[in-house]
Amino acid sequence: MARRHILRQMAIAAISFSAAETLLQSAARAKSLTVLAAARRKQWTGENAAVMQYYRTKPKWASWTVPQLNVRDGWSEPSGWMSKIENSRKVPYIHDNFNRLLPVTKLPHHWVMVIDLRRCIGCQACVVSCKSENNVPVGVYRTWVQVVETGAMEPDAQGTVVTDRGTFTPNVKRFSLPRLCNHCDAPPCVEVCPVKATFKREDGLVLIDYPKCLGCGYCINACPYDARFFNPIQQTADKCTFCVQRLDRGLLPACVTSCVGRARIFGDLNDPNSEVSRLIARYPTTHLKTTMGTKPQVFYIDLDGVVAEDGADAFNTLYPYAVGTNTEEYDDLTGKVLLQTPMGKERGTR
Amino acid sequence: MLHGSLIQSGLENVYWGVMIVTYPYISGLVAGSFVVSSLSHVFHQKLFDDLAPLAVLVSFALLLAAPLTVLGDARQPINFWELLTRGHWPYSPIAFFILIWMAYIVLMLFELYFAFRAQNVRHWVQSQGHSRLRRFLTLGSRDASLAGEKRDKRILMILSAMGILMAFLFHGYIGFIFGSTKARPLWATPLMPVLFIVSAMVSGIALMWVVYVLVMRFSHRPVHRALADGLLRYLVLFVLLDLYMDAVDFLTSAIPAYTQGPTSQGFQRILMTGPNSGIYFGLQLGVGLGVPLIGWIIPQIRRSLAGGALMSLAVLIGVFAMRWDVVIAGQEQSKISSNLVTVQIPWTGFDSVQTVIGVFAVAFVVFMVLAWAFPWQSWNQIPAMEHREEREGQILSQSAQGTNSTITTKGGHVLS
Repeated sequence: MARRHILRQMAIAAISFSAAETLLQSAARAKSLTVLAAARRKQWTGENAAVMQYYRTKPKWASWTVPQLNVRDGWSEPSGWMSKIENSRKVPYIHDNFNRLLPVTKLPHHWVMVIDLRRCIGCQACVVSCKSENNVPVGVYRTWVQVVETGAMEPDAQGTVVTDRGTFTPNVKRFSLPRLCNHCDAPPCVEVCPVKATFKREDGLVLIDYPKCLGCGYCINACPYDARFFNPIQQTADKCTFCVQRLDRGLLPACVTSCVGRARIFGDLNDPNSEVSRLIARYPTTHLKTTMGTKPQVFYIDLDGVVAEDGADAFNTLYPYAVGTNTEEYDDLTGKVLLQTPMGKERGTR
Repeated sequence: MLHGSLIQSGLENVYWGVMIVTYPYISGLVAGSFVVSSLSHVFHQKLFDDLAPLAVLVSFALLLAAPLTVLGDARQPINFWELLTRGHWPYSPIAFFILIWMAYIVLMLFELYFAFRAQNVRHWVQSQGHSRLRRFLTLGSRDASLAGEKRDKRILMILSAMGILMAFLFHGYIGFIFGSTKARPLWATPLMPVLFIVSAMVSGIALMWVVYVLVMRFSHRPVHRALADGLLRYLVLFVLLDLYMDAVDFLTSAIPAYTQGPTSQGFQRILMTGPNSGIYFGLQLGVGLGVPLIGWIIPQIRRSLAGGALMSLAVLIGVFAMRWDVVIAGQEQSKISSNLVTVQIPWTGFDSVQTVIGVFAVAFVVFMVLAWAFPWQSWNQIPAMEHREEREGQILSQSAQGTNSTITTKGGHVLS
């Protein structure tokens, strides 16, 4: 009886502790975030002595859980990277009813990108320049180049690849596939945002108003191209902006400028003489995952249909810098998977 | 070190963690326990009259805790105010949350008031006007008559009928959050709202069984076996419905010939042979559906209290596994990479097991406060004055005239 009593007391104590702990944590977090939210709103409208004082004493962003990121690195200051989404020309924007974009010819510009895969050499210069231009944190990418391999190793007695499990002949094709936000004309990510924090600018750009973002992650799940991610420092959704801060000042996006083979071409689709218009008119182009009905505005020349539509299981991703470290394909690279065969992947250690 | 979903370390991640698994689970319990209360309020099943007030309290406590899960998973929860000031409805399914949740809260407040009004007044009268809590809960009403109680029941019936619709809306829209996400092949099925509602009913009934038996045990009162067995009967009925829905879901998502390529590939690689196959076959189907059905077949299990507890707890575990198989397994399928995304759930910190326990602890504390404040106990109900007079009159007349007598009381009710 006494033991039962003690057990009951312990259970009550554990439950109460857990409840109190959760409430206290929430309260502490809410308090710090309240101050931050107020500071951010002021920061949005302009610099403010109180905000400066706040950041001087507490150079923190919502990265309070990651002490090593809690430094002055351009994120915390009022003129930091958060305020880089600009709309200096006051282009109108919409959150839904994307059919309003149909008469595009009436709008002054419609920015699109053409990626000519015949010219991409997989040098990853665009990835580096994007990270440099937009201060993209370590571990996440606004644009990335997958080096993919389609086809399979086929069993062949005379094959050149000899393993414990048999002899194979490679029947594969390897190419580079730059990926970025497709700035869709019917973007599901914009439609699902519960607080209209992300929007479609009428000149074609899909952007995020970071201070209004809840960080609920719905847009990230709703994007078929995995172009969105949680920024680990500002703890909001983040994505490619076509370098809007450069575009609004008449410059090309950083990845386009740095592309050594001129594989990325950026321009105005409404202008029939622009390079993108001429390329799209001259060559057959396609999109990634057209079946999703998102009307992507990144056009690929010479894109393998297997990669464009089937995605996931149809190809291998090579090279670690374009691979998520928490996917099974990372395990592949570290040797836990042996070979891709027509029967599927054979697991084993190298 | 486990970071969970806070630190996103790769191109693809599981963005919605265990808190979003808990979110449909808790809101399913809300909807299910509300429907249990409406068995008495709307469908007039006298058997469940004693359970209805308890079910309303459980439902309300869980309803208050439900948004903690979403806020706990959001990276900037303080921006929740944006939902009120610039909600993107009717375009965004999540934006509906704040509307439906607040409407449901208002409806539940009315429900709480009318379910306990007469008892609160009588308890206040019995305390000779000393109980301030009772006085506050009556909100100024002093009508303790039988006619007033009957009017309350009529109002309750309308409120509960609206509440059932609201519960289905509240839970169906959560299914729609997943069902409308076309980028996730395992989520994008129109079956999702119905699947969620059916499993919500199952889990709500199981929870009410467990809560009822535990409450009776801790109050040192005998468990009303007819009531518990009646609940179990409904439980098995809805488990059969859930089995049917799961079979339909299986046929339309797992069989390659009947569905889109990515859907069947994902289902087979994640749920049938992959990392979640144990949770799917073992917990969701085996424990969640198999144990209650087998338990119902065997009379020794069906008729014993321990067997009922086994069935109810198995259902609660199975429904949590079902939420896991929707939320986590759906995100394990990669969109652009060539293999599955791996997931780690931390024990403490953001989006962890600890926060889940904390949310349930908050719901438990709220429930204890409500149970302290409201007179839900069947042995603590004070009958109306007319009833007491009737009973006294009946006793008097029986002693005077024998058993086969007919008298008319002050309220005009004929007793024979």
